[in-house]
Amino acid sequence: MCGAKAPVFLAKGTYLVALLKLESLHVALEDGTEIVKGVDLEVGLDEVHAIMGPNGSGKSTLSYAIMGHPAYAITEGRIVFDGEDVTEMGADERAQRGLFLAFQYPHAIPGVTVTNFLRSAINAVRKARSGKDDPMPIPEFRKELLGQMDRLKVSRELASRYLNDGFSGGEKKRVEILQMAMLKPRIAVLDETDSGLDIDALRVVASGVNELVGPEMGALVITHYQRILDYITPDHVHVFVGGRIVESGGPELAKKLEAGGYAPYEEVLA
Amino acid sequence: MSRPEALAAYEALPLPDTSEEHWRFTDLAGFDPDTRTYPGGQTPAMSEGAMVDLDVAGFATVTAEGITIERAPEGITFAPLPEDHERLYSLVGWDEKFAAHNAAMWTNGLLVVVPKGVVLEKPLYVRISATGRTFWRLVVVAEEGARASLVEEYASPAPDTAGYSNAVTELFVEPNAKLEYVSLQNLSTETWHFASHHARVERDAELDWVAGGFGSKRGKTRIQNDLNGRGATSRVTGAYFADGEQHLDYDTFQEHIAPDCTSDFAFKGALRDHATAVWRGMIRVEKDAQKTNAYQECRNLMLSPTTHAVPIPGLEILANDVRCTHGATVGRVDREQLFYLMARGLPRYEAERLIVRGFFQEVLDRIELEPVRDAVTAALEARIPQA
Ligand SMILES: Nc1ncnc2c1ncn2[C@@H]1O[C@H](COP(=O)(O)OP(=O)(O)O)[C@@H](O)[C@H]1O
Ligand SMILES: [Mg+2]
Repeated sequence: MCGAKAPVFLAKGTYLVALLKLESLHVALEDGTEIVKGVDLEVGLDEVHAIMGPNGSGKSTLSYAIMGHPAYAITEGRIVFDGEDVTEMGADERAQRGLFLAFQYPHAIPGVTVTNFLRSAINAVRKARSGKDDPMPIPEFRKELLGQMDRLKVSRELASRYLNDGFSGGEKKRVEILQMAMLKPRIAVLDETDSGLDIDALRVVASGVNELVGPEMGALVITHYQRILDYITPDHVHVFVGGRIVESGGPELAKKLEAGGYAPYEEVLA
Repeated sequence: MSRPEALAAYEALPLPDTSEEHWRFTDLAGFDPDTRTYPGGQTPAMSEGAMVDLDVAGFATVTAEGITIERAPEGITFAPLPEDHERLYSLVGWDEKFAAHNAAMWTNGLLVVVPKGVVLEKPLYVRISATGRTFWRLVVVAEEGARASLVEEYASPAPDTAGYSNAVTELFVEPNAKLEYVSLQNLSTETWHFASHHARVERDAELDWVAGGFGSKRGKTRIQNDLNGRGATSRVTGAYFADGEQHLDYDTFQEHIAPDCTSDFAFKGALRDHATAVWRGMIRVEKDAQKTNAYQECRNLMLSPTTHAVPIPGLEILANDVRCTHGATVGRVDREQLFYLMARGLPRYEAERLIVRGFFQEVLDRIELEPVRDAVTAALEARIPQA
């Protein structure tokens, strides 16, 4: 480790600079409709933030904007990642820097196997980071892939299937987490990864996330339901209604939401 | 002697123009099949740079000057095509302008006869180098119960070689025989290419055909399969890629004459820049061809908004107990797929590459000969834009 910069470890959640910062973020659709109406949020390593909001409140829009989807325009504010303004960057550059989005609705890529896709993605990230071709040796890749698949209880048979093509809802979500485990991002945004999972699958997925959260990774868990938070304990909970964070608090806020629902917040906004 | 007859037919037939239905999308303006001004005479090193890396049983090269049989396997005919061979012109005659031109002018031909029951383990390979005007003719007879594979590759000595290539292939797949025929067209983008490839498949015989279209400027490739004996099967797998100002034209015809036959044509193509493609498919089921099972599809992927693809499926069914299906699509790279891949760190061009590879995978999977599959894959990959 000679010469390497040692990270500054303080108490959990108190890194000097948050890795991901959303500053007064506004996001509009292509027709100009504003969906996200000013979000401020800081997510650091070793932290789990939960964003909880009802359907249609703009959670996926926020996730896409963080990842750089071209159809979701940032009309105001900015996104800072590791001290760098990434607001104008493409999704590829954000991913190469260590941002990850687990999609609510992962897309199928017919003709491209999970293995081939993951190897291409890993090597693209390695190349971007080292500035030269530096592919992961195939035996190492295989060992890592099979190990992660077993850990996440993803059937090995899926490795040679076409990405998300004909996968069940649960398989797709697990493969999203598999991708996260393989790519080892620094901040992972999980957009309703819990929806459509049965309890067993939810446990597996949650433990997959829990294993990665730590000094190397922080997570932003986006959800409609409180259920996933029984398995992934958040440090911070944000209630997200009508494109805004309307209340922030600790894990107890999730319990309050479970009891009272979003209605009281929506009434205030109405 | 048929040559003068063919020449007369050629001279009598007008150069097709876009007022003819089959040439509606392929404009030959600026092309003169009689011009002799193409630079010719280069003799490229033909053994070099073959597309397919194969351990072959026989190898022949063709140039404007002649055909060279570099290696011929024992026990079969793999030789220059005699002008008076009995099978000549029985499938492709001279009722069409370019077929007539070939019939009148061809000098370098190859005859392949795989005798009854002979199984050829290794493929045969013929490489055609088109310079100037090249009239190439191939006759293949797979006699009863024979099995063989033949790879035919069209190439130009240089990427800017101008030329006119006119090819005719007549394939005879006799009862119970199996023939694999691979035709890879990788001509320069300054070459006009016209081809008529016609096969007749007899009782319980099987024809497995791969058509790869990567090069040429403009022209037309006609592919016809006659399912002529009960239980015959033909399968044609096509993959094409055009860019720049290229225009590809495939005219395919599945002619079901006998009952209980299967034909399955699947083409996929990608287009970039200002490239255009037209694909016309026709399944005709004659009235005695009951229990026909015929399929045709052509799917196109536009990689630039300035490309244009016209797939035109067609059915003409005279029998009443048949199963015929077809599909034709023109699509673009899906923006959501692209974002999904880029969100994993793949730069745009690499994401696009993966999607394009994925698009072709289905047709690549149909190619049985692994070296051919690899060669077609490599040819496609080479064309997908880099950074
Ligand atoms: N691509 C899109 N095109 C049109 N409307 C969209 C698009 N994406 C989101 N919306 C709209 O924006 C609003 C918020 O959607 P979304 O971000 O998906 O909410 P959530 O994820 O919280 O359910 C909804 O009214 C939805 O219909
Ligand atoms: Mg959503």
